[in-house]
Formats: sequence, structure tokens, C-alpha cells
Amino acid sequence: MAVNEEALMWVEKYRPKNLKEVVDLHDIVGSLKAFMRNPKTMPHLLLAGIPGTGKTTVALCIAHELFGPNWKSFTLELNASDERGIDTVRDRIKDFSRYSRSGFGNVPFALVILDECDQMTSPAQTALRRIMETSSRTSRFILICNQSSKIIEPIQSRCAIFRFSRLDKQAMKEQLQCIAKKENVSLLPEAAERIVDYSEGDLRHAINALQTAAAYKEGVVDEKTVLLVIGEASPMQVQKMIRKALFGDFIEARKTMYEIMGLYGFSGSEIIRQVQREIFKMSDLTPEQKADLSNLIGEYDYRLTQGANSDIQLSALLAQFAKFGKAIGETY
Amino acid sequence: MRNDLLWVEKYRPKKIEDIVGNEEAKATFIEWLKNKRRTKKAVLLYGPPGVGKTALANAAAKEFGFIIIEMNASDTRSEKAINEIAKPATSFVALDTFSAESKGNLLFLDEVDGIAGNEDRGGVGAIIKIVEESRVPVIMAANDPDIDKLRPLKKVCLLIRFHQIRIPLIIALLQKICLLEHVKAEFEALERIAQNSRGDVRSAINDLQSLSEENQVLTLQDTMMLTSRNKDISMDETIRGFFSAKSVAEASSLLFRSSVDYDEFIMSVSDNLPRRYTSPDELAAAYDYVSQADVFRGRVGTENWHLLKYFFNALSEAAAVAPESYKPFEFISPPIRIITLFWTKGKRTMLDGICGKIGAQCHVSHAIAKHDFVPFIKDILQKQKSSPLASWLKLTPEEVDFLIRMNRY
Repeated sequence: MAVNEEALMWVEKYRPKNLKEVVDLHDIVGSLKAFMRNPKTMPHLLLAGIPGTGKTTVALCIAHELFGPNWKSFTLELNASDERGIDTVRDRIKDFSRYSRSGFGNVPFALVILDECDQMTSPAQTALRRIMETSSRTSRFILICNQSSKIIEPIQSRCAIFRFSRLDKQAMKEQLQCIAKKENVSLLPEAAERIVDYSEGDLRHAINALQTAAAYKEGVVDEKTVLLVIGEASPMQVQKMIRKALFGDFIEARKTMYEIMGLYGFSGSEIIRQVQREIFKMSDLTPEQKADLSNLIGEYDYRLTQGANSDIQLSALLAQFAKFGKAIGETY
Repeated sequence: MRNDLLWVEKYRPKKIEDIVGNEEAKATFIEWLKNKRRTKKAVLLYGPPGVGKTALANAAAKEFGFIIIEMNASDTRSEKAINEIAKPATSFVALDTFSAESKGNLLFLDEVDGIAGNEDRGGVGAIIKIVEESRVPVIMAANDPDIDKLRPLKKVCLLIRFHQIRIPLIIALLQKICLLEHVKAEFEALERIAQNSRGDVRSAINDLQSLSEENQVLTLQDTMMLTSRNKDISMDETIRGFFSAKSVAEASSLLFRSSVDYDEFIMSVSDNLPRRYTSPDELAAAYDYVSQADVFRGRVGTENWHLLKYFFNALSEAAAVAPESYKPFEFISPPIRIITLFWTKGKRTMLDGICGKIGAQCHVSHAIAKHDFVPFIKDILQKQKSSPLASWLKLTPEEVDFLIRMNRY
């Protein structure tokens, strides 16, 4: 594994630079390598799959392989969820194809990597399709998304689609051990197991957790540290909000809720999803209590989709928690 | 000892000078009745209800010796009906003109803006004809003189405008009535009744009477139960009335009458709910109704307005979960959400900036930086204060500080 020396976040430091370094994606890498041998034949690509499975990495690897160390001069990286509106995207792509050299060596095009395309509205995607057509002589697009079903048909039909599935647990563990070795950290097997379980197939998440755990204790990552990291890194404040509500302090719990919404810009459904995850991590609740709370969460999650105002549904859920906390005599 | 008479009837002004307020309008009217009847044969008194229009017509007739012939909204006022009653009244100078006390008839058409389209067909036309041919004074009264169908009427009438009665005048009147009825009342209570009436003397007297039925001594506290008069009930009043409602029916009738913005209102209810219900069980029950109301609001959307009644009903249930536990409390007025968003704006901007920097270095969007990087990076920085990570991410010292202290907010 080549090491990107200057990068300090391990996810960047150990991000593969070449397709052959990419683990556990043999089928995809195989087809892509064929394009690399004769870049003229490369179509637009659509990479779809859950987070942390290597889509961006593969896209960057392609850029590396096509253009070598100066890949940045020939590649435009855009993030659909950060760029405000299709007009910005259009302008940047236009500027890029105007000023960048259109090609390098035997590669007759520049590369546009557009991440999180499924965040784009369908009118924006229609505009994108038009952009892809008008700039197709000079540019190739690599579109990245979580769900290919959210990409409009005309775009899908213009792309070669590659699906990234959840990473294999064993492969993830090997990857973590490999990084730990390079960083001179001894990663205990049960700690690795924990990280992989918690990350649910998201390698980026797993590596971040590993790096954080390594910052806790010199030279060794054990299960206890991992649990601590997971607890600390769990969505800030959500845990606090739940405990306050269960303790009966509804007003404080709601204040925390508004802080989460205000500070982190989380939507109602994001918060409710995290509440659900947090509940199952709470060791001081019995399985029956967790199930009861989960039912409550389910009800209000549904109402959230039906209702007009997520603040109200979340507040109502917290009020239910306060009632629940009183019934089981919760004393934190 | 109270008698059965309504106080508004009992204390109806007998003389012009008994009518409170609107001095200018009264003077214009008397001047017309005495001297100016040749220039315009009719007057139209207009203004909000309960300010003395009808009272003035009646008192003036009495004082100047006219026999008043009255038609109001409860009578049918088609062309035919008007011609049958009003025409004879205006056509002849009364038989007893010769007696000194009477100057003859006076036609009083109350609530002319209530002349309805179909049943009162031709009504307005008939009135104009009568005014033109009348040999006796014609007085009309209306609340809203701007209705289109009354426009022709305005041409043949002298228009006299009545205003709302000023609060101090109403208070003085209420004090007088209290004295006569042997009711002891706090000044603040009368003040609140007067304010609540919005310049409507009739409603103020009615409120005074209904409140003093139960209370020998009228305190400010008693007046809290006053349901606001229906003219645009403000947010504060609606909230107040809503939370003090004793039953679902009371709360829902208030909501139906109020003209507040529903979305703002439900937010305000949500903000104040934990102040109203301090017991977790009551709060949970009430919030459940508010939550259902919100679901109905979602279904109403922007077109299914007929579903709004379910929204009202569910919300009203929330008001009356436990009427017995009601204690007056102080309301939070600006929605908490807005305050919090305002208060956290600086932090949000700071966090956005940090996420942008992470995104640039790690090829991820702001959203992923926020969810998948910030929680770990803050943790690393907390453990290793001088971590080179900060400079690699190009974070400013303030941003590092922000991340380190993140959990304490």
C-alpha cells in the first residue's frame, strides 16, 4: 500500500492511489482496468453504493491512472450537496472545460467527478444531462451516488453503472490491521471486531474510529477504548437529550433538541434515526424497555413523515420519553 | 338582588346626553334632525357595533317627540315588505300632528347592510324611493357602509361616522353600573373588560353582567375567563384563552373564531405546553394530541382545507387534557425554535467552515464531514491538544478551540 505521506487523516493517508491497491472490489476494478488500457473508450461512469465502500476512492484512482501525478489539473471535483443549485455546477463545469487542457497524452478528455448526485433534484439532473451532452467532446463524467434509483433514467442510460456493495467484514478487518501495523499500533482482534461491527460496512467510518481510538492510548487499541470512542463519537448531544427526557426534564431535553437542530443543522428525521440507534446502545435499559421505546420512536417517525412540522413530532416523542421514564422510575 | 332584566336593556340611554362618546357624530345628527332635513332627507349612521347608533336614533326620537317606526334585520325587507310598512309611515304626516308633543313619524331602518340578496329582493331600490318621496325623517344604521349594494344609498344620505368608544369612557360607565347594581369590582377588572370589548359598550356591559352573576366581588382573576370578542383575536389572546379553556368545546370554539396563523399557533402551543402541564403523563397525553393535529395539518397541505376541522379538534383536545390542573402561567411568546436558531447561528457558521475544510482535504461533502468526521476529529483534538491534524486540516485556533469544547454546549 502506497502511503500518502503528508496526509494526516488516516482515511486520506491510506486511500489507495491505484486501482490495483483497491481491496475487495475485484469485479469493478477488473472492468475499469480495461478502460484504463484504452482511455478513448471510457464512457461516463455512474458509481452507486452505500457510504464508505470506495466510490470516491475508485474515482480518484481513475484520475490518478489517467493523468498521473498532475491529475488535479485535469480533474474537477464537485459535490452536488455542497454546490448551491445547478447553475453553479454548470458555471464551474463550463469554466473548467474552457480553461483546462482538454486531455493529456493519449487521454482526449478531462475528468469531472460529481459526488452525491442523488441529492440533486430531477430538474437539476435534467440540466446536468444537458451539460454532459454539450461538454462530452472535452469531458468525461464520473457520477457518484448512494442510490442509483434516484438518478433519472436518461442519465443512467448514458453511463456505465457500477454498483458497490457492503464491504466484507474480513476484508475490513484486514485493512484495519494493515493500517494499524503501519502506524505502529497494536490493534487487538476483539477491538477490530467491535469497530467493524459498529461501522456497518463503512470503511471510512471504521478507519476514523481506529485513528481516534489510537489517540486515546499510546501504541495499543483495545476493546475498552473502542467502546469509549464509539460512545463519545455518537451523535453529540442526542444521548444527552434522551437522558434528560427519560429523567423527566422535558424542557431541558427540548432545549437540547433545538440546539442539535440549530447547531448541526440536523433534520427531524435524522435526529429520530439517531435516537433509535442511541437507545439500543444504552446499557441501563432492559431489552423490553428498549423495545417499548422503539415502538414509540416508530410511531413518531411515521407521524413525522405525515405531519407538517418535525419540531412538534420530536417534542411529542420527548414528552412520551418523559412519561416512560417516570413509569419505570428511571433515576440517572 | 338581581332582576332578570339584561343590563344592556336596563341601562339603555334614555336621553341623548346619556350616550357616551362620539360627541361630534351626535352633534351632526342633532343638527340634521333639527335644521338640515331639507338638504338631505335621510342619514346613514355607520360604525362598529355597540357604539350607540341605535341608541341615538331611539333617544333622539324620544327627545324630539317623533314616533319611531323601526325595521331591522330580523324583519324581511323585500321591496314589498318595505312598501307595506315603511311607505305608509313616511307618506302621511300623522293624524295627531296637531297635538303638541308629536312631530309625527320617524322611520328607522337598522342594520341596512344586512339586507340580503335573495329574500330582500329590490330592498335597496325601495328604500331609495322611500327616501326620495318621504315626508318624514329617515334614519339608517349600518356597520359596514362599504358594501357594494349600499352604494346607491350613500348618495341620498348624509353619512355620519361613529367610532369605537374610548376605554376610559367605558370604564366610567361600568363603574356607574356597578354602583347601581351593588357590585364591588376591582378597577383592573373593569379595565380588562373594557379593553376586551374593543370599544363596544354593549359587549362590555354584557361581560360585566355575566361575570358579576357568579362573583359578588369582581377581581382581575375572574376576568381571565373572558373569551375574547371575536374581532380579530390576537395570538396572545388566543393562546391565553386556549390554555384556560375548561372543555374541548370551549377551546375549539375559540379556535374557530380566531384568525391567527395556524402554523404559528400550533408552534406557540407546543412551546407553552410544558408550562401548562407539569405532570409527565398529562404532558405526554397533550403532546400526543398536538402531534395528531400536526399530522392533520400535514394532510391539509395547501388544498384540503376541509380537513382543517380535524386539526382544530385534535388541537382542542390538547387544551383540555386536565382542566382541573390549570393554573395561570407566564407565556413564552416568540417561538423557541427561532430564538435557538438565532442564538446558534454563529456556531453553525463556524461548523460549516470547519466542514468545508475537512471536505476539501478528504474529498467529502459538508454533510459527510459533519456526520463522519467531526465527531472523531473533535475527539482526537481533545485527546491530543497539539495534534498536527489541526494544521493539516488548515483549522484556525478558534476552530480548534470550538471543536475541543464541542461537547460542553
